Amino acid sequence: MRLPAALLLLALAVRTLAAESDPAPAGKSASAATPPRAVARTDKIWSAVLLATKPPNPQADPAALAEFVPRLKRIFGYTQYEIIGATTETIDEKSESWLVPSRNFWLQVKSRPIASKDARGAYHLTLQFYQDNRPILATEAQLAPGSPLFIRGPQHGAGQVIIVLQVQR
Amino acid sequence: MKTFEERFTAWVDGQLTGSALAEFEKELAAHPEAAAERAEARKLGDLLRAQPAPPMGNEDFFHHQLMQRLAAETPRAAAPARARGWFWSLPRLVLAGAACLALAGGLFTALIPAGRPPGAPSDYYAEVLDLRPGDPSISASTLSNPEDNVTVVWLDGLDYIPASYALK
Repeated sequence: MRLPAALLLLALAVRTLAAESDPAPAGKSASAATPPRAVARTDKIWSAVLLATKPPNPQADPAALAEFVPRLKRIFGYTQYEIIGATTETIDEKSESWLVPSRNFWLQVKSRPIASKDARGAYHLTLQFYQDNRPILATEAQLAPGSPLFIRGPQHGAGQVIIVLQVQR
Repeated sequence: MKTFEERFTAWVDGQLTGSALAEFEKELAAHPEAAAERAEARKLGDLLRAQPAPPMGNEDFFHHQLMQRLAAETPRAAAPARARGWFWSLPRLVLAGAACLALAGGLFTALIPAGRPPGAPSDYYAEVLDLRPGDPSISASTLSNPEDNVTVVWLDGLDYIPASYALK
């Protein structure tokens, strides 16, 4: 009986010491206790409007899409992805930004960094997606570098318009 | 080493053979009455075997009583049998526990794909918190695929753009 009791007391003591040394509780509270990370001015958001098609003889994939094409093919099933337009903007948390990758499709973006250390430098984005002045979608999303967001847009002929958003560091 | 009485009984029954028989017959030289006793014993046995067996009224009860008495009179012989019959002895419990652990480990290794260690940062961080289509005719849904490290907003109901319209 003495040994289990001693082990229990030891475990309680260790836990108490650990709690005192780390005042931030686990989970969301810990995230809230973490001071907001200063926005790195090198963080950017890349956006592109793609036209996905299934031609008989697909062209080579654009170099800028190299990291996306395997995933695009798995998700949408098209064999050729052509960049209609693309743009890169520095993320500015103080003001809204306009991403205008093409004349027909653009986005209004408001961004703020997520303070949690688990978020891997992610941003909370408030997006307004437009097609020719017509608001199509408003969305709130959290994106980290390397985790893109694809938006399936309208059909174009036998193809598909796809918008790609990715935070870049 | 068997006692003289045991060997004598075996000799009367004709079960001693070879060197055992020769040695015992040497011992019998000091017991001249032995041959007569053996002859009487064999005679009695033959007489008993010649008699018809008396009918037994309740054989089951007799066997039951006999087995109970045997069990009561031979406790040392019964105890090991009981111990052998008890499967969940401590060593077997330990062995069974170890076998279960080994089986669970094997199944875990074989069936659960090896992934990122717990607590390690994930490569995937994308989440759509809210979707508000700009038109009632448009529907929006979200697909997430952490394996592909991608999130998709799927819009339906958008106006079709003819192929003749050049996107810019």
